[in-house]
Amino acid sequence: MKLFRYSLVALGLASATCANAASIAITNAKIHTVTEQGVLENATLVIENGKISAINPDTINADETIDAQGKILTPGLINSLNSLGLVEVGAVSRTRDAREKKADMTFDASLAFNPKSTVIPYSRKGGITTDIVSPSGGESMFKGQTFVVNLSGEFDSVEKTQQGLVIELGSKSKGSRATDLQKLTYKLEDAEKALEKAKAKKKDDKKEPKELKRDEKIINAVLAGEKQLIAHVDRATDILALLKLKERFQLNLVLVGAADAVVVAEQVAAANVPVVFSATSNLPESFDSLHASLENAATLNKAGVKVVLTVNGETHNMYQLRFNAGIAVANGMPYEQALAAVTSNVAEVFDLNAGQIAVGKDADIVLWSADPFELSSKVEKIWIDGKEYDTRSRQDELRDRYMAETDMPRAYVK
Amino acid sequence: MSKIVPSIVMVAVSIALSGCMQSEKQDAKVTINKNPYPSTYKALPQTKTLIQNATVLTGTGERINGADVLFVDGKIVQVGQGLASDGATIIDGKDKWVTPGIIDVHSHLGVYPSPSVESHSDGNEMTSPNTSEVWAEHSVWPQDPGFQAARAGGITTMQILPGSANLFGGRGVTLRNVPSHTMQGMKFPEAPYGLKMACGENPKRVYGSRKQAPGTRMGNMAGYRMAFAEAAEYKRAWEKYDADYAAGKNPEAPVRDIELDTLKGVLDGDILIHNHCYKAEEMAMMIDLSKEFNYHAGTFHHAIEAYKIADLLGENGNCAAMWPDWWGFKMEAYDMVKENVAIVNAVKNSCAVVHSDSSTTIQRLNQEAGKIMFDANDNGFELTEADAIRWITLNAAKSLGINDKTGSLEAGKNADVVVWNQNPFSVYAQAEQVFVDGAKVYDRHDKKYQAKSDFMLGQE
Repeated sequence: MKLFRYSLVALGLASATCANAASIAITNAKIHTVTEQGVLENATLVIENGKISAINPDTINADETIDAQGKILTPGLINSLNSLGLVEVGAVSRTRDAREKKADMTFDASLAFNPKSTVIPYSRKGGITTDIVSPSGGESMFKGQTFVVNLSGEFDSVEKTQQGLVIELGSKSKGSRATDLQKLTYKLEDAEKALEKAKAKKKDDKKEPKELKRDEKIINAVLAGEKQLIAHVDRATDILALLKLKERFQLNLVLVGAADAVVVAEQVAAANVPVVFSATSNLPESFDSLHASLENAATLNKAGVKVVLTVNGETHNMYQLRFNAGIAVANGMPYEQALAAVTSNVAEVFDLNAGQIAVGKDADIVLWSADPFELSSKVEKIWIDGKEYDTRSRQDELRDRYMAETDMPRAYVK
Repeated sequence: MSKIVPSIVMVAVSIALSGCMQSEKQDAKVTINKNPYPSTYKALPQTKTLIQNATVLTGTGERINGADVLFVDGKIVQVGQGLASDGATIIDGKDKWVTPGIIDVHSHLGVYPSPSVESHSDGNEMTSPNTSEVWAEHSVWPQDPGFQAARAGGITTMQILPGSANLFGGRGVTLRNVPSHTMQGMKFPEAPYGLKMACGENPKRVYGSRKQAPGTRMGNMAGYRMAFAEAAEYKRAWEKYDADYAAGKNPEAPVRDIELDTLKGVLDGDILIHNHCYKAEEMAMMIDLSKEFNYHAGTFHHAIEAYKIADLLGENGNCAAMWPDWWGFKMEAYDMVKENVAIVNAVKNSCAVVHSDSSTTIQRLNQEAGKIMFDANDNGFELTEADAIRWITLNAAKSLGINDKTGSLEAGKNADVVVWNQNPFSVYAQAEQVFVDGAKVYDRHDKKYQAKSDFMLGQE
């Protein structure tokens, strides 16, 4: 009964913002669950109130039924660690909000997130439903904190803020990398000491404990393993140094880029540290990344590392995430593992209730015309939190304007 | 004996002229060596090769199923069905696809190599709006590991361009993608030079921020016009010198100007324009500029808005080199449409090219072309693989002025050939074997044909 009442409330809310049916059944689909259930043929999926409510139920009872005609259904893809909604045009300074010279670890760029960015509907063409946005920070090695958005384009699309602490380590154009590693170590040591001191004090001191500074709270959360430490790093020695810090302080560590992680793949796997990178990075762009290779995704995966694939830097082309997964497959990564690397692994690493087709998960779902990794396929339908969204973008408007037959200037074609 | 003949003629001319003018002994004729850094490229060892029973995209718009490709002495001999094999190395092409070697008209490999350290930043002479005197080939580091990666993606030829800070960035060079320890060892024999020009935001930003011209788009146009006006004077001065000398006079040669040599080369039709130019209105002005100074406007690179003026490009015979989907990094890249290439391709006399400008995507130009084909077909076009391959083969060769030598699988052309493990417009496609002038330069399954740059040797 309680459940029933909840649904009614949700239905009421949903109908205020969208005209979609509150419950949808998708039948006759080939479902890549990205769970232990694997791929289900001729399957039925039911979405209710923004969640997946049933898979292959005995009877279908939904407001709307869609025949998938045997086509592929996957969880929505999740991209990560880019500046979606923070940069509209890269070279136009007044459209850039991902960076701030004086940014430190407290930098929360989610306040600047623009769900109306033209990049968002365009990215939905790539079947992307969620993104982990990262600030690119400032002069400090601490770049700020990540936040989670969905790609609905709605004003409430920021789902979580101040998630992970982003740090950049490794080669520097001025000074030694040692300084940053040392600073990070000291920061953690000092915070740990302060915590111990505060604990010891509590026992006999009746005075109110001193209010912590904002950055101290962040470091404490990192120390407690509540906040991820998301480290951009490439060279194997830096990765090993981070693994040591992880062990010593019990950090929740994520490696990004990590071109040379393959050299220490066993250690990375043993430390249970996920690695986020682009499958197309294969050039020795620096002396820190001499082992970049198209096969790195396959190699790390085989070594037991949790692999998360992303599209490097180019936020405006994050729609290509699915092709990057395909390139990983072409270079040796098993198909289902590559799919996990853009869905369930990302959800797991960044703590999202998505990335799998399973009862109770967010209904972020994509119906594909064919193999989602192929250049020839396209998104036919996309749902975010159970609501269907369009993939039409400004680019389509422009194309149609210039392909229309008209005697008048094109400005009249709308 | 034959050497004496001209001298006699010369003497005769001198005598003839002495009747009407003061006799003057001519100084040695001053001539400009147009090829002072000549190619030393030699094809790698090759054998007569027959690829059998493959799906062949010829690059001319044709697809032949179950076809054979025969090449001998570095040249394509025949493409067709059931060809004779007489002592040739046989490649089983069953389930494979064969295309011409892929050509990238816009690369900075070697001039912005990996690793991208300060010492390697050699691709953009950002010291003056007009640096027509610099030649990209003088910056190329042949050990760039990017050349190997591009070869694994089927790239057999590419034009290396200087960057885009300047109105005139300097000369580009067309290279064969073969390993070599000198630039000359890669230089494409007899390929024309290209002059890199740049419209729009880059020049005005770089120089405007230094309180120097150009600081605006109209400043850009003024800079082009002033330079070509000067080049026209320079050309006239040389032509006058040549004519006077031929008339037996002893004129003083114009002062050699390396910068103007390049612009004169454009006016003479020897050097092709490669113009970084995104926007419709700017491309239209560059076409008018070329008419004002009587040269051809060449290829527009990064032509994001080419679809808005596809007819004009066709009428004027311009190629447009485009990405499938890059956008949003600056205002002039904001109006991207994914069907740009298809729209340009659809007009009469079109020359649509897909380029990379990237050390990463140069490795997958086949997929870049594929993305366009599939997107366009979802939106009203009916393009085939045979159409799409032209954007990265024959049309690219045309843009570089080498379409008489490469870019298609036709008898007599250089045997630049890629054998793909499947349809090259699949995300899973891999180039299995790559041939340049009939010589195998890459084999995905044979380490013997996987070159490694000096830089990568011994790096652990």
